[in-house]
Amino acid sequence: MQRHEVVVVGAGLAGQRAALAAVQAGRDVAIVSKLHPLRSHSGAAQGGINAAVGKEDSVETHIYDTVKGSDYLGDQDAIEFFCTEAGPTVVEMEHFGTIFSRAPDGSLARRAFGGAGFPRTIYAADRTGLALLQGLWERLGTEEFTLYEEWDLTKIVVRDGRVRGIVAFDRKRGDFEGIAAPSVVIATGPFGRVYGRTTNAHSCTGDGVAAAYDAGALLKDLEFVQFHPTALLESGILITEGARGEGGILKNAAGERFMSRYAPHVLELASRDVVSRAIVTEVAEGRGFPGPYGPYVHLELMHLGKEKIESRLQEIVDYSRIFAGIDPITQPIPVYPGQHYMMGGVGTNSRGETNLPGLFAAGEAACVSIHGANRLGGNSLLETLVFGKQAGLAAAAHATGAPRAEVAAADVDAAQAPLRAWAARKDGEDPSALRTELQQTMERYVGIYRNEADLLEGLKRVRAVKARFENVRIVDQSKVYNINLTDALEVGHLIELAEVIVVGAYARTESRGAHARTDYPKRDDAHWMKHTMARKTPEGPNLSYTPVTYTRWEPKERVY
Amino acid sequence: MASEMVTAAFDVYRFDPARDPAPRYQRYSLDLAPHTPVLSALLKIRAEIDPTLSLRYSCRSAICGSCAMQVNSKSRLACETPIGPEIARHGRIVVEPMRNQPVVRDLVVDQEPFWRHYEQVEPHLILDPRHPMPEGVANPMTPEEVERFKETPRCIACAACFSACPAVEADPGFPGPMALAKLYRFVVDPRDQARQDRLVRIQPGGLWTCLRCHLCTEACPKDVRPSERIRDLKEMAIAAQGATEAGSRHAVGFKENIRERGVLIEAKLVRQTSGVGGMLGQLGQGVRIYRRKPEILKTPHAIEGADEVEKIYEALDRPNEDSG
Repeated sequence: MQRHEVVVVGAGLAGQRAALAAVQAGRDVAIVSKLHPLRSHSGAAQGGINAAVGKEDSVETHIYDTVKGSDYLGDQDAIEFFCTEAGPTVVEMEHFGTIFSRAPDGSLARRAFGGAGFPRTIYAADRTGLALLQGLWERLGTEEFTLYEEWDLTKIVVRDGRVRGIVAFDRKRGDFEGIAAPSVVIATGPFGRVYGRTTNAHSCTGDGVAAAYDAGALLKDLEFVQFHPTALLESGILITEGARGEGGILKNAAGERFMSRYAPHVLELASRDVVSRAIVTEVAEGRGFPGPYGPYVHLELMHLGKEKIESRLQEIVDYSRIFAGIDPITQPIPVYPGQHYMMGGVGTNSRGETNLPGLFAAGEAACVSIHGANRLGGNSLLETLVFGKQAGLAAAAHATGAPRAEVAAADVDAAQAPLRAWAARKDGEDPSALRTELQQTMERYVGIYRNEADLLEGLKRVRAVKARFENVRIVDQSKVYNINLTDALEVGHLIELAEVIVVGAYARTESRGAHARTDYPKRDDAHWMKHTMARKTPEGPNLSYTPVTYTRWEPKERVY
Repeated sequence: MASEMVTAAFDVYRFDPARDPAPRYQRYSLDLAPHTPVLSALLKIRAEIDPTLSLRYSCRSAICGSCAMQVNSKSRLACETPIGPEIARHGRIVVEPMRNQPVVRDLVVDQEPFWRHYEQVEPHLILDPRHPMPEGVANPMTPEEVERFKETPRCIACAACFSACPAVEADPGFPGPMALAKLYRFVVDPRDQARQDRLVRIQPGGLWTCLRCHLCTEACPKDVRPSERIRDLKEMAIAAQGATEAGSRHAVGFKENIRERGVLIEAKLVRQTSGVGGMLGQLGQGVRIYRRKPEILKTPHAIEGADEVEKIYEALDRPNEDSG
C-alpha cells in the first residue's frame, strides 16, 4: 500500500492546479493519472480563457454574461467568485511560463467568443489548452510530488463516512494497489464518450465521476450536455469557436447565412446551445448538405484570407486538411454539432468539497455550478484553474492533522474482484460492442432535442446495455498494458453515467440551456430553477433537488 | 469525402515480454476507406478482430501525442496518417513501436528515456529573485518576441523525433530533438533569466552530437523543426561562449578552413577540431587514412574564384537577426 496526504486523480489542468496548491500548502501529494499529464485532454482545448482585463470590459459584465449563458441555473455566488479570480489566474499562468498570443503593445491578446459582451478571451493561437498545460506542468515540475503515471482509478475507499484513499491499477505492471490518503481530489475530466459523435478524446470516460458516484457522492445536473456547433464531420474533431470569433460564418445548402434567423444580433456568436440547435433545425428542415457521414452545414473561413487563417487558426488548417481532406483557405469546412462538454459532474461548492468528507472534485469532472445549463466558450479552461486551486487548498486543509488513512487488503481485493471475474469468463459481452451500442443510443435518444418518448426508449436501451455489462468479458489474459481490461472498466463507467444523464433529462420537464425538450419547449422557473442531484442505488439513480443560489441577477428571457 | 474501399493488409508488431519468447508480426486484413487514419484502423482491429492488441492513444486529433509509432518505418502519429498513401507506396502497412525506447508491449514503449532528457534541460522558467515578475500583471511581450519561439510551442511531446533520431540511438546520453527544441523555447523566452547558463550547460555531450540529418524535422507532426532550432542553439552557444567544445571547434574550424582557399584542407581540420593533443590521440587513425589516401597531407591549391567564396563569408558574418 502507498500512503500520501492528498491524492489527486487526473492530471489535466484541474488536477495539476489542485496538486500545485496542495504541495504549496506543505502536503505530501500524489497524482494518479491514466495518461502522462501532458497527454491530458485539457491540451485539446483550442479557443481561449476568459478574463475581463480589457479597459472597456469589466468583471461585472463577465459575471452577467456567465449567469445569462447558464440560463440562470448557475449559482451566482460561485460565478461572482469565479469571474473575480479570472484576471489573477491568467496572470499567474503567464508568470508560470505560458506563452500567450500578444497584442502589438505587448499585452495579452483577446478575441471575441460566443455569448460574451466584449472580446475577453485570452488565447495562445488556437492551442490555448496545450499552452496552459505546458506552462502548468513546467511549473509543477519544480515541486516535489509523486506521479503514478498510467494508473487507472478503480475505487474510492470510504469507511465510516470518510474517504480513506483509492484503489488503482498500474497498466504497465498490471497490479492493483491501495493508495491511502485522507483527501482525494477527483479531476478526471468529462465523460463525452457516452456519445458517438464527440469532440472528446477516447480517454474521456468519467472514471473519477463514476467512482465518486459509486462511493456515495452526489452527481449534479448531468442532463445538461453541451453540443459544440462545429465538430468536424465524420471524426467529430473540434473546430474551435475561435474560428467564428475570428469572423467565420455558417451557411446551409441554400447558401444562406442562416444564423440571422436564430440570433439576428450576434449571429454565429450566439451561445453554443443556440447555434447547435440552429444547425440541427436547418438540417431537419432539409437545408443541410447530404453526405455519407450524415448531413452537415458549412463553416466558411475563406473570406478571412490566407494570412489571418494561417496565423490565428493554424491547428484548424491542419485538422481540416488531415481529417476532412479540405483546405479551409479555399474551401468551406463540413461541420455538425457534436457532444463537447458536460456541465454536470460531481456536485461541489466553491471550495471543491463534495457531500463526502475527504472527497473533492474540480474541473469538468465537477459541477459547482458556474456553467448552469450551458457553458460559455472560454469559461472551462478558467474553471479548471480557479476551482482546481480551491479544491487543492481544501484537500490540503482537510488532510492537515487528519488521522493516518489506511486502505485495507480487503478493499483492494474487493476492487479487483469484478475485473478478475471478467477475465475468467469463457464467454461474454465484448466491451467495445457495448460501448458502441451505448453511444448510438445516447446519440439517437438523448441528443440535442429531447422528448418523453425518446428518453423513455433511451432509458430502456441504456438499462439493457447495463444488464449486458454484467456479463462483460476480457479476452486479453496478459498482465502487461492490458487495455482490453481498462476498456471494460471505462465502458462500465460510461454506462453508469449515461443512466444518470437520461434519468435526469426525463425528469426535467422544461427546456433550459442545453437541455431542449420539444414537449416542454419553455423554461419553467417556477418548478425547475433547481439543481438535479443523483445518488446511486441498486435500482439506479435516485434524484433529489437543491435550489439555485441567487445574488443579484433576476432571471430574464435569454435572447442573443 | 466518400471513397472506394480498399483491402488493407497490416503487419503489426506483437510482443508481450511476460509471455512471448520473441517479437512477431501479426497480419490483419480489413476493408477500409483510403482516408482512414492508421489509428482508426488499429481500433477497428481491436474492436472486431483482436482485442489483445495493445497501444497507447487518446485524442485522435494529433494534439495529445499518445499514438506515435512506426508506420512503414517512419515515426508518425497513427491518428493523422491515412492508410491510402501507405498502401499505394508500400502495398501494406507495417506498424511497429517507436524506436529508442524499450518496448513495454506490442506498440507501447516505455518513454522514460524521452522524459528523462526532457527533465534534464530544466524545462521551466528559471528566475532571478533580484528581478521579480511584475506584481498582478502579465509580463509585457511583443508579438515579435512571441515569433522568436518559432514553432516550438506547438510541441506535443509525442517523441516521434526522439524515435527517428540516429544520434539518440548512437549516444543514449544525447538529449534528443524534443528536449533541445524545448531548451530553445526557454533560451529565447524573454522572461527566463538563465539563458547564458543554459547555453553553457547544454554544450558538453548535449548539443554537438546532433548529426544535422533533419530526420527529426521530417518526423515532427507539428512542424516544430527541431533540427533548425538545434542549429540556432549551436550558433547561440558559440556566440555566448566561443568555440569551446570539439563540436563547436569543428564547426568554427570548418568555416575558417574553407575560407582560406575555398576548399577544405582536411589535415588542418583535425587540429582545428581536436587541438594538437587530440591530433596525437588520433595518430593511429591518421596513419591508416594516409596509407589509403596519401594526398590528405597535401595542402590543396586555392580554387578558382576564391574571392567569390570570401564574399559568401562576408555575407555570413553579417549579424543574423533570426537567431539573436
